[in-house]
Amino acid sequence: MSKPSDLIQGTLDLLILRTISLEPKHGWAIAKRIEQITDDVLQITQGALYPALHRLEQQGWVRSEWRTSETGREAKFYSLTRAGTAQLKRELAQWERLSNAVGLVIRMA
Amino acid sequence: MFLSRWWNVLRARLRTLLKRPSVETELEKELRFHLERQREENVARGMSADEARYAASRRLGGITQIQEECRDMRRTGQLESILSDVQFAARTLIHTPGFSAAIIVTMAIAIGANSAIFSVIDGVLLKPLPYPQPERLVRVFLNNPEYPKFPLNPFDLKDYRERSRSFESLTDSVNGGSLNAIGGYARDDLQLSGIDTPMRLTAFAVTAGFFHVLGERPAIGREFSTRDELAANGHVVILSHELWNSRFASQPNILGRKIILNGEPYTVVGVMRSGFAHPGNDYHAVAYGQRVDVWVPFPFRDNPANRGSHFVDGIGRLKTGVTVAQAQADLNAVMAQMAREHEGDRGWHVRLTPLQSEIVGGTQRLLWTLLGAVGLVLLIACVNAANLLLARATIRSREFALRAALGARRSRLIRLLLTESILLSLIGAALGGAIALAGVNALVALLPSDFPRAGDIHVNAAMFLFTLTVAIATGILFGLAPAWQGSNVDLRTSLHQSGRSVTSSAGVLRLRNSLVVSEIALACLLLIGAGLMLRSFANLLDTNPGFRPTGTVTASISLRSPSYDYAKPESINRFYEQLLLRLVSTPGVSAAGIATDLPWTGYDDNTGFTIQDKTPPPNTEFHARYHSASPDYFRVLGIPLLKGRFFNAHDRKESSHSLIINQAMAQRYWPGEDALGRRITFEDHPKESDWLPIVGIVGDVKDTPASDGAEPAFWWSLPEWPYMDVSVAVRGRSEPSVLADDIRAAVHALDPSLAIAEVRTMDEIAAKAYSSSQFALLLFGLFALLALVLAGIGTYAVMSYSMNQRSHEFGLRMALGAQSRDVFTYVFRQGMKLTIGGTAIGVVSSLILGRFLASLLYRVSAHDTLTMAAACFVVIATAALACYVPARRATQNDPMNALRAD
Repeated sequence: MSKPSDLIQGTLDLLILRTISLEPKHGWAIAKRIEQITDDVLQITQGALYPALHRLEQQGWVRSEWRTSETGREAKFYSLTRAGTAQLKRELAQWERLSNAVGLVIRMA
Repeated sequence: MFLSRWWNVLRARLRTLLKRPSVETELEKELRFHLERQREENVARGMSADEARYAASRRLGGITQIQEECRDMRRTGQLESILSDVQFAARTLIHTPGFSAAIIVTMAIAIGANSAIFSVIDGVLLKPLPYPQPERLVRVFLNNPEYPKFPLNPFDLKDYRERSRSFESLTDSVNGGSLNAIGGYARDDLQLSGIDTPMRLTAFAVTAGFFHVLGERPAIGREFSTRDELAANGHVVILSHELWNSRFASQPNILGRKIILNGEPYTVVGVMRSGFAHPGNDYHAVAYGQRVDVWVPFPFRDNPANRGSHFVDGIGRLKTGVTVAQAQADLNAVMAQMAREHEGDRGWHVRLTPLQSEIVGGTQRLLWTLLGAVGLVLLIACVNAANLLLARATIRSREFALRAALGARRSRLIRLLLTESILLSLIGAALGGAIALAGVNALVALLPSDFPRAGDIHVNAAMFLFTLTVAIATGILFGLAPAWQGSNVDLRTSLHQSGRSVTSSAGVLRLRNSLVVSEIALACLLLIGAGLMLRSFANLLDTNPGFRPTGTVTASISLRSPSYDYAKPESINRFYEQLLLRLVSTPGVSAAGIATDLPWTGYDDNTGFTIQDKTPPPNTEFHARYHSASPDYFRVLGIPLLKGRFFNAHDRKESSHSLIINQAMAQRYWPGEDALGRRITFEDHPKESDWLPIVGIVGDVKDTPASDGAEPAFWWSLPEWPYMDVSVAVRGRSEPSVLADDIRAAVHALDPSLAIAEVRTMDEIAAKAYSSSQFALLLFGLFALLALVLAGIGTYAVMSYSMNQRSHEFGLRMALGAQSRDVFTYVFRQGMKLTIGGTAIGVVSSLILGRFLASLLYRVSAHDTLTMAAACFVVIATAALACYVPARRATQNDPMNALRAD
């Protein structure tokens, strides 16, 4: 179980935004999805996930609504706002640059 | 997108703030859902139910901790803490009601006065005039070195209308042709008869499209067209809404009806909307917004080649995008063309001024000066409030130290203190708003009767916005220094100090002293201003106006009816003779006179003339203001005869010609010579009988109370030039109301069909002429008094507070042998040092700011030493009083008390 500080700062935001960019998801589904895709390499603790979701909502990147989940219970679904989509683009570009740079250092040094 | 994001952010924060319970429940529900899913997954992986629940909780971690972090993420801590600051501030203020009331009342008075003055400025200067696109309206004047703003010649106006290119184009209401939007209007009062009692109407002859130029049109009917300008078609009239209401019972079928004006039938073609504002004119002036009853078409009579007579006021509407300067250049090009065609047009330029500045320009300086003065009062109030808050910050220093010790940052403390001061000023402003509501009405009642746009002054949203802005700004202004000082806590010393001997640091003391100095300086500055106003008003009352107003009653009559014929002057002269005879034989009347005008009523009719054996300098002419008067007119008004004689019964056209001139005319055209017996003429090719000899020289009557002298002027003998619109003046022992009735009775005994207008005493006319200076003096004096009281209170508060703080020290000094006299002198001297410093700064700043006041002053320099000395004396005396009581108290300290205290 990795702590949030294990992730490069801000990466959690990027992962969340990317995960809900296709369709609205609730917190549990977001965590599950990230774990699945990364073969459990990245495990998101709930202690980090929910504060992050609330922060993103306060910043206007995501919005939330209560819907019936796949199990028939009410769950809070998060989706991207238009500002969030733009933010995701910016963060992706940022990540792209950073990982390229890190890759270069690792290969060349 | 940017906006929508902020909208989302705002909505989310507000939701968190306002619907906290539901937000919390949702959070809990959300986390519970997560837990539930984890448990299900665990069960699916084969755990037992209990094991699954336990594992899920463990995986999620502490729910409370997550909730706490989520709350942090919502970042509404700021807002919540501001709310709690406000609550705390309110509680603190309620706990010290005396202190809070002192600040609130001071701020309320100062803010209220500011808001009231602002309302006046808003209504008069800032609010656009009530015409569509008023910024494109300009007044058109002629201008030469002698007459900066002269009325237009009608045919010049017609040429502007045809040849200019800078003015909007408008449709001629009947012909459908197009006209440039330049209009002319000339006062031409009419007498309405045929219904009820005859009534004198304020009337204007206006050119085609005049209303259209103003962006208006009659509410019913049509406006005048170029066809109406032809003299033969001129008997049509447009009524004001008010006249239609009062005299014609708002009859809807008024159009086409004939009414009797000056004894002739006029057809009503239109009625204006209610509240249509007269744009104001200069020649036979009716001020902006004053009552105008009817409009008739301007008849272009006379010879179009005659460009010498000037009596039409001009107004125009610029095309969009054309500046005033461009339009002026355009009209001057037209004028240059015309000067080649007509001799009378040579030597004149066209001058345009925006309508708004033409109407209110004269009041600008006064109003901004008053706002400046009342702004200084507000500053003093702020200084007082700052002083009180500083004093309290010192008392509360331990509270702040405690807060700091518990981890409050300095910015947090500053915010808390600023919240308090802004809360105080907001409450003050709310009260001040109420004061302003009453104040505005009082101000409007006090305004001089000829003050432009007084009717446009209303309390409105702009005033409340202004009040709110001022409240917040002053709250920060007077709260900042105390907050900065108060938050600057040194933990060790503050917490160590024990109860009684909490003393201010040297820094605080210096700050408070400089506040006292500055408020004394401000009060001194205002007092000097008020003193200058007082002196100039005294000068105004003190100078000889050139006539004696007391004991004289006047009225206006007009003989424009079919019974009198200008072509047969005998009919008019007979009326005047009989009227004067009747009046002087009335018991209680000692003298009666008739003339074209009265002093200080804005009369300004001028003419050129030729002086025998003199030629005017090139490109100029001899000119003077002309009047016509009956023999006793000068005696009635108390205008002294300096030389020669008044008119007598022999000064009639058939016998001899004669002229009376004023001293200014004698000095202008016969300097160092005897003007008596000299002759002038108004004819270009005079016969011997066209020369008029000067038979008398009378004293100058000042043009206005504040003018330095009189324009050159002369009087024709009334029987020689029998004007039909005249003023009647009687002097007598009877009460003014009795004299007024005597005039009415005498006129109606001769001709019951005549309307009598403008019945008033000369004293009323004089009071009106003084009212604007009186208004300035009254307000300035009020503000200066307010400033003085506030500064006195402020000085007293600071002195007594610092004496209280140092009572321990004084007790010690006295225990060590200091006499009470020494302590008194020491304390008193401290206060006086500040006072004298402040007074000196006040005097120096008055020297710098004096030039703003100069134009409002009359015969007193803005640097008048006597005024300054008197103001300094008053300020120092007030401050001495404010220091005396605390100094006295300092000597009454019981040394034993001081020693026992700690």
